[in-house]
Amino acid sequence: MMSVLHPDGYDLLKKTIELSSSSLPIETKLERMLESAKESFQSNRSLHLGPETIVKGGFLSRVAERREPLWVDEAFPFQEGEVLAGERDLLCPAFTCLPLSEEALFHGIFYLGFERNRRFSQGEMDLLLLLAKEMGMALRNDRLHRAAEETASELNALHEMGKAVSSALKMEELLELIVNTGLKILKARGGVLRVEKGRPGDLAVRSGVGEYHRNPIDERIARRVLFSQTPLSLFRSGKEKPFVSLLCAPLVFKGRGIGTLTFYDKESDPSRFDERDLQLLATMANQMSCAIENATTQGQIASMAEDHERRVRQLSTLWELNKALLTTVHFERIVHMTLTAITIGDGLGFNRAMLFLVNEKDHALQGTMAVGPDNAEEAGKIWSSLSQKKGSPSELAAQIQSSTDNHSILNHIVKEIQIPLGHEQCILSRTVLVGKPFNIRVPHDQEEWLQTRCERGCHIGSEVGCYVSEHLSRNPNVYAFATVPLWGKGKVIGVILVDNLYNQKPITDEDIHYLTMFSGQAGLAIENVLLYRNLNEVHRQLKEAQTFLVHQEKMAALGELSTSVAHEIRNPLVSIGGFTRRLDRSLPDDAAEKRYTRTIVKEVERVEKILSDVLTYTHEGGTNRKELDLREVMEESLSMISDGLSNGEIELAKEFSEEVPGVKGDPYQLKQVFFNLVSNACESMDGKGKLSIRIHPIFKNGFPFVRVEVEDTGAGIDPENLHHIFNPFYSTKDKRLGLGLPIIHKIVTSHQGQIEVNNHPGRSVTFSLTFPAQEEKQR
Amino acid sequence: MMKILVVDDEESIRLLYKEELEEEGFVVEVAKDGLEALEQVPLFQPDLITLDIKMPGLNGIETLKRIRETERQLPIVMCSAYGEYKQDLTTWASDAYVVKCADLTELKKTIRRLLRLL
Repeated sequence: MMSVLHPDGYDLLKKTIELSSSSLPIETKLERMLESAKESFQSNRSLHLGPETIVKGGFLSRVAERREPLWVDEAFPFQEGEVLAGERDLLCPAFTCLPLSEEALFHGIFYLGFERNRRFSQGEMDLLLLLAKEMGMALRNDRLHRAAEETASELNALHEMGKAVSSALKMEELLELIVNTGLKILKARGGVLRVEKGRPGDLAVRSGVGEYHRNPIDERIARRVLFSQTPLSLFRSGKEKPFVSLLCAPLVFKGRGIGTLTFYDKESDPSRFDERDLQLLATMANQMSCAIENATTQGQIASMAEDHERRVRQLSTLWELNKALLTTVHFERIVHMTLTAITIGDGLGFNRAMLFLVNEKDHALQGTMAVGPDNAEEAGKIWSSLSQKKGSPSELAAQIQSSTDNHSILNHIVKEIQIPLGHEQCILSRTVLVGKPFNIRVPHDQEEWLQTRCERGCHIGSEVGCYVSEHLSRNPNVYAFATVPLWGKGKVIGVILVDNLYNQKPITDEDIHYLTMFSGQAGLAIENVLLYRNLNEVHRQLKEAQTFLVHQEKMAALGELSTSVAHEIRNPLVSIGGFTRRLDRSLPDDAAEKRYTRTIVKEVERVEKILSDVLTYTHEGGTNRKELDLREVMEESLSMISDGLSNGEIELAKEFSEEVPGVKGDPYQLKQVFFNLVSNACESMDGKGKLSIRIHPIFKNGFPFVRVEVEDTGAGIDPENLHHIFNPFYSTKDKRLGLGLPIIHKIVTSHQGQIEVNNHPGRSVTFSLTFPAQEEKQR
Repeated sequence: MMKILVVDDEESIRLLYKEELEEEGFVVEVAKDGLEALEQVPLFQPDLITLDIKMPGLNGIETLKRIRETERQLPIVMCSAYGEYKQDLTTWASDAYVVKCADLTELKKTIRRLLRLL
């Protein structure tokens, strides 16, 4: 059958092709194509039904599915149920629905309707099919064009991002750029970038546009994406929700989730991200992970470098201060310098530093000095003035060295503090006992807090220690501090306590490390100064002692000399004086010579008085106590009566310990005591028997004594008299016995000694004398 | 008349004591050391002895002990230039101790007391 072309077919086709290849927007193109088709065919309606308007189950959907044209001119080819309500409007006496499809793509349906019955000739049908084909082509081209444009813009955005990745941008700028580029590419209304921070799984918003991230659900979604490391696309239709649609992708670097990138609400209406957007975001996220990680590393390196520089400056200052410390012997200055070094910004930079030194005598920690502002206001002033005063470390050290004024309230408080070292719960004494630093951070829970309470039950952490808390009431729950032992040579000589009360900067382990390092040097310097001070003191004492001894020696020599001279002079003086008196008496009262004799008598009296004074001063009268070896004293006493021992049949048994401590006493008096005891013993034995003399050290109640025992085998003492032998007013028949014992008793007791008698009448008697020994000299 | 034996190694002292004591009405004999004194005691039979301590040969303390061996009741006055022997227990066997002095009042008083002449 020959096909007959529509009379205007050629023009129509030409016009349609022209429209199709024009640069008009697709909507206009379609409109004009439909218009010209309507005119050419004298149709009543011409429509383009887009794919989104075709509802399933109707005849249109059948056309779409089968991709076959529908020609209606005589009879309606569908059952009643096959037409949907929305499609009824399209039903007219004659119409055609031509699918606009090309390969897999479907662009909708070309509809042409007539109010009257007509038949479509083969030519018309061919022409309409050609028109439909051209329309489809135009739609396809448009779609391809748009896709190309989109891809170009995405590529451009990705390229920008790529540039950002390779350039060393700052972290914040980079994150902002990522979000903004993402917004552009995805045409979203809002976006947020989260980075992992703190504990694993915790996310912090680093950059964002819009308010979407404020929704708590949003963060939960982000966490979930980070955990699963899978991109997520959500769509919500509810109007009350803060976002209508959402895209979220994890930022993964080397298999580790480092954050999430989320975008909200596509600008198109309805807002819905498609699969392509999701893929795009995933690609972007992958690329950006690298960049973020790089920027993070860069940031870390920069902060490490900064930290390093700061530490070098600190060390340099500390080194200068150390040099200064080692050349100072002034205690106050050295302590002040140490504490200042700990508190200045270019030093260790703590807010306050306090020093407590061990007082070995009292077994306690004594507050020595504190450096630091008394209140936050003062702290601010000091810091601002310090920041203006920049200088080299050596200048700074010199400056610190020259200023030793310290009138702060804190200093006064600390000086009042004394903590017994036995208080092990007190963190300060524990630092000394353990010899280790303690970094007491603000406690998180009650249990940890309890450990920082001392025996007194107060909060050690509340201030310098339990004692200071009484003076400055601080909230103990926010007080953090650290203690470091101050080491001397092989022992802890004190504690340094530091805190950051005013700026609340956490004390790091590294801070403690530097503080320990510095305090090691300072400890030695302080110990040196203390030793130097002690040395000076001991030197002064020794000098005094030496002067005293020289004086004593001189006096002793002088005494000896004057004693012997005095004795030698006394005898002739007696004769001179005596005979002059005789002469004086023999002279008549009116004799002129009487004047001479009286003068001589007077002058002799004067000389005798001088001699007597000299002798009293040097020896006579007062006792002359010194450290004695009782064995020597006993030997001297024995030598005085050795005659009596050697000619008789008395057997002498001496038992003297090898080591006998000294006893402080008057050698003369003690010699007489021993002499008398031995004489008494010899006499009681009537020149026959055994005399035992023992001298040995003993301990009574932990104190050293020397015991002297004199034992004889004589008749002993009559028990009747035993209780009275030391009574000076009681006389026994035995004259000798009564004479000496009261005086022996008096001398022994005046030496803080004791005397005991062990009496066995008819057999033996033992006199035991006990004297307190001189204590061993202190080291 | 009471008899006194003066024992002293210094001749001038012996002379002074002898003259002074004789003036007081005593019969006085002298001895220049301990040994001579020991010889004199049984011969002269004194009622009292003044005894110097520091003497060559037999000193006063030894002499005192020796005399005491026989004469337990005889009053003996120790006379010495050395005050420190006063505390010496060996001199406690004597009856008195007088430190030598140009003024003999103290000595004379002691002698009278011991001889119960006061």
